[in-house]
Amino acid sequence: MSSPVFYRQFERHDHAAGLHAHSTTYCPGCGHGVVQKFLAEAIDDLGVQDRTVLVSPVGCSVFSYYYFDVGNSQAAHGRAPAVALGHKTANPDSIVICYQGDGDLASIGLAEIISTAQLGVPITVIFANNAIYGMTGGQMAPTTLLGQPTSTSPSGRGLLAGQPLKVAEMIAGLDGPVFVERVALYDNKHRTHAKRAIEKALRLQVDGVGFAFIEVLSECPIHLHLEPEAAEAWVHEHMEPVFPLGVKKDTTDGARYPTIPTPTFDAERTLEVLGATTDEPTRFATEFPVHLDPDDISLKLAGAGGDGAQTAAMLITRAAIGEGFDATHIPSYGPESRGGTSYADVHVAKTEVLAPAAPHPHVLVAFNAPSLTKFGPTVRPGGVIIYDSSVIGAVPDTLADGVRLVGVPFTEVAKDLGAPVVKNVVALGALQAVTQLFPTETFLATIRTAVGNKADLAAVNEHAFTRGATLAHTRT
Amino acid sequence: MTSIDERPLPSLLPEYCKGCGRCLAACTKDCISVGTEIHPVTGLVPVVIDLTNCNRCGLCFDACPEPFGLQPADGQSSCALMDPALLGGKRPFDAPTPEPMPDSMLDLPARAPLVVKGTYASAVGAVLAGCRHVYGYPITPSTEGAELMAKVLPALDGVFVQAVSEVATVNIMYGAGGAGKRCMTFTSSPGFSLMLEGISYMIGAEVPAVFVNIMRGGPGLGNIAPAQADIKLACRGLGHGNTHAIVLAPATPQEMLDCTMLAFELAFEYRNPVVVLGDGYLGQMTGKVLLPDRMVVPGIPEWAVAGDRSHRGNLICSIELSEAELERHDQELDEKYARMIAKEQRADLHHCDDADVVLVACNTPAQLAKGAVRELRAAGLRVGLFRPITVWPFPIDALCEVLPDAGHLVVVEASEGQLEDEMRLALSHADVHAPPISHVRRQGGILPSQEEIVEHVQGLRGVR
Repeated sequence: MSSPVFYRQFERHDHAAGLHAHSTTYCPGCGHGVVQKFLAEAIDDLGVQDRTVLVSPVGCSVFSYYYFDVGNSQAAHGRAPAVALGHKTANPDSIVICYQGDGDLASIGLAEIISTAQLGVPITVIFANNAIYGMTGGQMAPTTLLGQPTSTSPSGRGLLAGQPLKVAEMIAGLDGPVFVERVALYDNKHRTHAKRAIEKALRLQVDGVGFAFIEVLSECPIHLHLEPEAAEAWVHEHMEPVFPLGVKKDTTDGARYPTIPTPTFDAERTLEVLGATTDEPTRFATEFPVHLDPDDISLKLAGAGGDGAQTAAMLITRAAIGEGFDATHIPSYGPESRGGTSYADVHVAKTEVLAPAAPHPHVLVAFNAPSLTKFGPTVRPGGVIIYDSSVIGAVPDTLADGVRLVGVPFTEVAKDLGAPVVKNVVALGALQAVTQLFPTETFLATIRTAVGNKADLAAVNEHAFTRGATLAHTRT
Repeated sequence: MTSIDERPLPSLLPEYCKGCGRCLAACTKDCISVGTEIHPVTGLVPVVIDLTNCNRCGLCFDACPEPFGLQPADGQSSCALMDPALLGGKRPFDAPTPEPMPDSMLDLPARAPLVVKGTYASAVGAVLAGCRHVYGYPITPSTEGAELMAKVLPALDGVFVQAVSEVATVNIMYGAGGAGKRCMTFTSSPGFSLMLEGISYMIGAEVPAVFVNIMRGGPGLGNIAPAQADIKLACRGLGHGNTHAIVLAPATPQEMLDCTMLAFELAFEYRNPVVVLGDGYLGQMTGKVLLPDRMVVPGIPEWAVAGDRSHRGNLICSIELSEAELERHDQELDEKYARMIAKEQRADLHHCDDADVVLVACNTPAQLAKGAVRELRAAGLRVGLFRPITVWPFPIDALCEVLPDAGHLVVVEASEGQLEDEMRLALSHADVHAPPISHVRRQGGILPSQEEIVEHVQGLRGVR
C-alpha cells in the first residue's frame, strides 16, 4: 500500500475523480515523485505525521498539498523558508518541512534560504535541483549547467547567464545548519542513500538538533528532452561532476537547538514587563502655568546629538503628564547617530495637545550656537530663550519682541559636578527658574523616577538642577 | 529480520503507471519491460511486469515516482485482480475535526498611564491583544516598536525575529498567521511597499495579521519625516488581485494602542490582514497612554495549520487553478469586504452638528485640524472636523449624515490627495450630492499647519 502519509485520494486536485485522484501532477519520470515518496516514508517512520507542516512554494511541487496528509502551507515563490520559520516559531513542536525547487530556492528565494539556514532553527529543507525551470516550461535555472540549452539560454548557458550555483556547498558554508548533504536518484544505490539522508534530516528536527538541508539532484526528463532513463544518466554524467554528491557539513554532536519559547499570559507579569506601575505621580502644581499660555505651551530643545535635548524633553513631558496635564514630545534627528543635530518639540496642554510641533515655541533651550541661530528667531514674542553660555558666545539680534535671553553655562556646571552628561539637567533647572513651568518638586520627582531612584545618580542630577536654577536666577 | 520470501511482491495498477520506465533499470532481474499498448483510460503506455524471476528485492518501489504506482502488494494478491476502487474510496482520514478553542480575556489591574511613543503604544496594544509573535525589519520612523518588542517578548516567552528583509517579514507572518498566531510587524512606507505581495497572498489565503505602517515622505527613499502618502497603497493597492483590508488611522499615541488592539480583533474576526496607518509624527510622538482593563489570551482558530493532530487537515493556500473556483473565492472575498463596509466604518465627529465647513482629516493632521477648529470657532466660524478612523472602509455613512448642512468640505492631509480620493470615491459610490470640496495639502514630510488650515477656511467664499 502507499504510504499512509499520502492522502488515499487526492481530493484537492482539480479533477479529483477517477485517475487524478491517485496520480500526481508530475510528468512521467520526474524526480519529485521519488523524493516525495522518500519524504512520506520518513514522516511515517518517525511517527510525526500529525505534527508535520509541509511548506510548498511555487514550482512543480506547489501542489504537494494535494498528496501529503499533513498540515499544509502553500507559499509564495521563493519564500518557503520564511513561511517555515513562521510556522516553527509559532508552534515549536511542529515538524516543519520546506520542499523547494531550484528556481524557487536558488534564485528568487536566496535571501530567505540563507537567512533561515543561518538562523539554524530546526527546520528541514528538501531542495530538488534538476537544473531547469519545470513549471514555467524549461527556462534557465540558477543551477543550469554551462552550455546547457534551455528556452531562455537557447544557445546554451553562457554570456550574461552566470554559472551553476552550488547551493549545498553554499549552505554548508554557513554556521547555522547542522547537516547538509547532496544526494541523487539515478540508480538503486543512490536512491537508497537519498532515502536515508532525507530521514536523517528529518530526524535532526524531530530530535530538536537543528537546521538540516538535503539537495537532491533530480530528473526533469520532459524539459531535458530526454527519456527518463537517459535523464538519470544525464544527472550522473553531467550534473554530478558539477554538483558533487556527499555530506557537505555535519556538526551534529548531540547538542540541541535552544528551546523556542511558548508564550505565557499572565496579567501582572505582562504589565510589569510593559513597564506599567501603580505609582501615580505626586502632584505639586496647583494649576496650569497660565502665566505662559492659557491652554498650550510649546517648547523646543535643540542641540547636537548627545547633548541630552531628547532626555530633557522627555522629562518635561513626563512631569507634565504626572501633573495631570496633557503633553507630547516629538524628536527630530539628523542622519548621524551621534554628533548630528537633535531637536525636540514639546507641548504641554491644559486638556489636549493638538499640534505637536513647535514652529513658534514659547520657550527655546539651545545647547549650541547653530541651534540658537536657527531657532532663536522662531521664538514667539514675549518668549524665553535659555542657552548654554559655556559654548555660545554671540546671540542673534533678530529676535521677536520681548524675547528674554538667559545664558547659563550648562557645560561648565556639569563638568564641575564631574558628570558632563547632566548638562541637560542643568538646563532643566534653568528652565524651571526662568519659566516656573512647574514647581521644582515636580521636576525633581520626575528625575528621581527616571534614574530609577538610585541615590548617587539622583544626587548629582539634583545638584545639577539646583545649580542651573540658581545661576538662572542670578541672570534674570 | 524478514526473510526474502516473506517480502511482498510488487504490484502495479496500469492506470497509475505513467510508463516512465524508471523501474526498468532498478530491477536486477529484468522483470519489467517497456509496454507496447496504450492504456485506454490514461492514454499512456504502462510498463509490463512479469514476476516469474522476481526476488522481492523491493528496489522498484523506490524507483517509481508515483504514490500509487509500483508498491508492495497486499498479501499475495495479484495486481491484475485488484479493483482500482479498493485503492480509492474515501481516504481513511483519522485526524479529528478541530474543536473550537476560543480567545479568553484576563482582567488587568489598574495602572498609572504610560508616557510612551506612538510606536511603543502600538506595541503595548499588541501585547495586550495577545500578540506574542513579532517579525520585522528596521526602518525609520517605525523601528522603536520592534525595539520594544525585542525587549519585552522574550520576557513573556514570546518570539521576536528580525527578518532578512520586509519581503521575508511578511512571509514569516504568513507562516505564523497561518499557524493561527496573532502576529504583527512595524514598518514604514518603503518597507510597506515591499510587503504588498505577501499581503496579497495573505488576503488570498485568508491569513490574519497586523501591519503598523508609520508613513514617511516618498516616493522612493524620500525622507523620514511624517507623511500620509500610503493611503492609496493601503486602501487600493494591497498587492495584486482582489484585495482589501481594514485600514485604521489613529490620531494620538492613545489611539495607537487602541487601534492596534482593535486591529487584532478585526484581523481574526475577518481572517484578513489589518493595516494601522500612522504618520511619522505619531510614531515618534511621546504622549499619555491609558491602559485597557482587559487583555486577550488567544485561542487557536479552527482553520489554523497548527502542527498538531486536530488541525492536520488544514491548508493555508492562495492557489486556485480552476477559474470557476477562483471566481467563487473572489466573490466570497467580496462578501467579506461588503460585511466590513457595512459593519466596520468608524469616524470621530468633532463639532460637526452645526458646521458650515467640515474639515476632513486623519492621523496627526486631524489633531492640527482640531486646533484649527478651536481657533476658527473662537473667531465665530462654524467649523467642524470629520475624522475617519477607518480610512478603508471610508466612513461614508457618517459623512452623509453631516452633508446636508455642510457648505464646504476641506480635506486636510499630508499627501497629494490620497485621502481626498478615498472620500470622493466613497461619495461617488454613495451617489450623494456633495458640497464644494477643497483642500489643504502638504507633502514631502511636511504636515499642513494649523495656520494654513485657518487661513484656507477664512478664505472660503461665504463661510459663516
